[in-house]
Amino acid sequence: MARKITIYHLYPNNMNLYGDLGNIIALEKRCQWRGIETEIVNVHVGDNVDFSKADFLFMGGGQDTGQRIVVADLQLKGQAIREQIQGGLPALLICGGFQLFGHYFKTANRTEIKGISVFDAYTVAGNKRLIGNVVTDITHNLAEWKTEYGTDVTEHGITTLTGFENHSGQTHLNPGLLPFGYIIEGYGNDANKQYEGARYKNAYGTYLHGSLLPKNPHLTDHFIMAAIARRYGVKEALSPLDDTIELEAHQASTTRAKTAKTVSL
Amino acid sequence: MRKFIAIVAAEFARALVVITKKGSGSALPGVFAQAVDPKIIGKLAKMIKGGVIIVTGTNGKTTTAKMLASILESAGHRVIYNFSGSNLSRGIASFLIQKTNFWGTKIDGDIGIFEVDEATMPEILSMVQPKYILVTNIFRDQLDRYGEVDKTAALIGSALAMAKDTTILLNGDDPLVASLSLYNGKVQYFGVNDNYHTLSKGAIDSRNCISCGHELTFSPRYYGHLGNYKCENCGLARPALTYSLTNMSFSVESSKAAFVAPNMKTDLSISLPGLYNLYNALAATSVAAHYGVPETTITTALAKLSAAFGRMEKIKIGEKNIYLMLVKNPTGFTQTIETLTFDNNKKNILIALNDNFADGTDISWIWDAEIEIINNYYSNFTVSGIRGDDMLLRLKYADFDTTKITKELDLKKAMASALGKLADGETLYVLPTYTAMLEIRRDLANQGLVKGFLE
Repeated sequence: MARKITIYHLYPNNMNLYGDLGNIIALEKRCQWRGIETEIVNVHVGDNVDFSKADFLFMGGGQDTGQRIVVADLQLKGQAIREQIQGGLPALLICGGFQLFGHYFKTANRTEIKGISVFDAYTVAGNKRLIGNVVTDITHNLAEWKTEYGTDVTEHGITTLTGFENHSGQTHLNPGLLPFGYIIEGYGNDANKQYEGARYKNAYGTYLHGSLLPKNPHLTDHFIMAAIARRYGVKEALSPLDDTIELEAHQASTTRAKTAKTVSL
Repeated sequence: MRKFIAIVAAEFARALVVITKKGSGSALPGVFAQAVDPKIIGKLAKMIKGGVIIVTGTNGKTTTAKMLASILESAGHRVIYNFSGSNLSRGIASFLIQKTNFWGTKIDGDIGIFEVDEATMPEILSMVQPKYILVTNIFRDQLDRYGEVDKTAALIGSALAMAKDTTILLNGDDPLVASLSLYNGKVQYFGVNDNYHTLSKGAIDSRNCISCGHELTFSPRYYGHLGNYKCENCGLARPALTYSLTNMSFSVESSKAAFVAPNMKTDLSISLPGLYNLYNALAATSVAAHYGVPETTITTALAKLSAAFGRMEKIKIGEKNIYLMLVKNPTGFTQTIETLTFDNNKKNILIALNDNFADGTDISWIWDAEIEIINNYYSNFTVSGIRGDDMLLRLKYADFDTTKITKELDLKKAMASALGKLADGETLYVLPTYTAMLEIRRDLANQGLVKGFLE
């Protein structure tokens, strides 16, 4: 049966700092290779959109001007986005997107930029930039995905995520909010080399770009599966793809995280 | 006295580098000299009688500086410039000391061209009052180094604010560069007036109005966020151009255009491909025209110019050719590969992606580069370098047939295998990041095919 998922990309013009487009490309291609149709809806400042039509929500990182432009508009959309995420909308929020989906971001000059409180978390500007390749352990998510969808995305044998972090904001998770992953290599949310990102229902926040989804195909496939399950009310396994190249890139990035020196400026 | 000790320290460092054969020797003497005398750059620069010309911006600094140097040399000047990409302050200090006599009383040149890294601009301007400052463009570069393009603009801007009697030439087609006039109003603009059409789909940086945030309209857009722009909301538009190019035409290895200035109208021809190289020629020619260099001197110098170190270098290996095209950021990458589409011949291509510090440790930019545009323009394709796996993945997601792509992470082996597939007379187009380029050149130098680094 023909399937289609609609991907809402929040603020692609303003929030596209670190190869964020690669994540959209990965979702599109992995759907296309399986005959699943995709539609990309680019959501811009001022657009009046119906988030109930979204099957997946994505927002990337931006630079300061980009963030300034979107902050007020995001507040207007906050209620609608929270409702959908409450109802299980799969979402990936990276870097600036992750920060703005928390309660607030307190900048270096003590001003507070308001977020939309999807995540029970807040971000405070740190005094150094955390930069480098990252590897996290996401076994706890994989186990849960297996219980929920009956499918085994660990078939590739990877239980890690890998990507690249570059942030000065330090994000703190309030008690009860789970991290997305546990740091194996890298700094993570708050430089304590412990937690990375956050997860609330099907919304995942992270500092990892690189781009993230192309070299973490198990995560990409989980998002596609979750989006289809929610849209069509059926939990169905995706047809397998040859992921040799994806897994080699995953391995190369993992190795590099161990060998390359990380920098904090 | 301090200046003298600083020079002695630098010479000591240079000797150390030569004896131990560590590094290229371009930075360490400067580090020593600056430790002794932090103002050494300013003191030495003052001795350059004809003044200093500074070239900064994300892409095109080295090529623009080289073009300008050869024009001014043809005009009879003794030009000194910091080639080979040593554009941080320690590199600039090293190069100045190298050009100064042992007593620190004489410098070997009457015009200095400094290629200056964007983030180093405020430090240099605190010591040097240049005759000209040229800003080529501002694109996202090695984001792990400076963060973001807005910060880059602010850094250059704060330097421009310190320039008192300087002629500032800005790329008017770049809205972010043009906005630097907010820091110093005494500026002139260069740009392109042509109906050039790029294959690339969109700008990734600065596509919104600096003043009101509304999305800019381009008619046309030349590449990245460069073009004849206008904000439909607040009316901000590209400033009037004092120096411009029209009637552009391109081949895979050369470009032509007509240059128009208040005092001159002439045809330019360069043996480098791509609009971004014409922008470099435009920037260099604008300064030369303002400086009063005769037009035939300019056109002759540009026509016989060879490429800057590793930027667009053609190297002959027996009956085969290597064309080295340095890549370092998404807009530059997209522009470089677009030149391979200027004719319909299938190309032999090798991309070498490293992620050492000098390359930028974050390789996510390859996902912003529009590699898709050369999908139908290759016969053989090789990926290599420390992050060759990521490059192959990028190609897979751009719908390349990956069974036809060779992955060989070892660069030496990759070059040998790619060259082995060429027929006589064919060219291998090599797109390396910075340290991969150095590695390839070192190998070629060991084979005696190019001059070494310390030429």
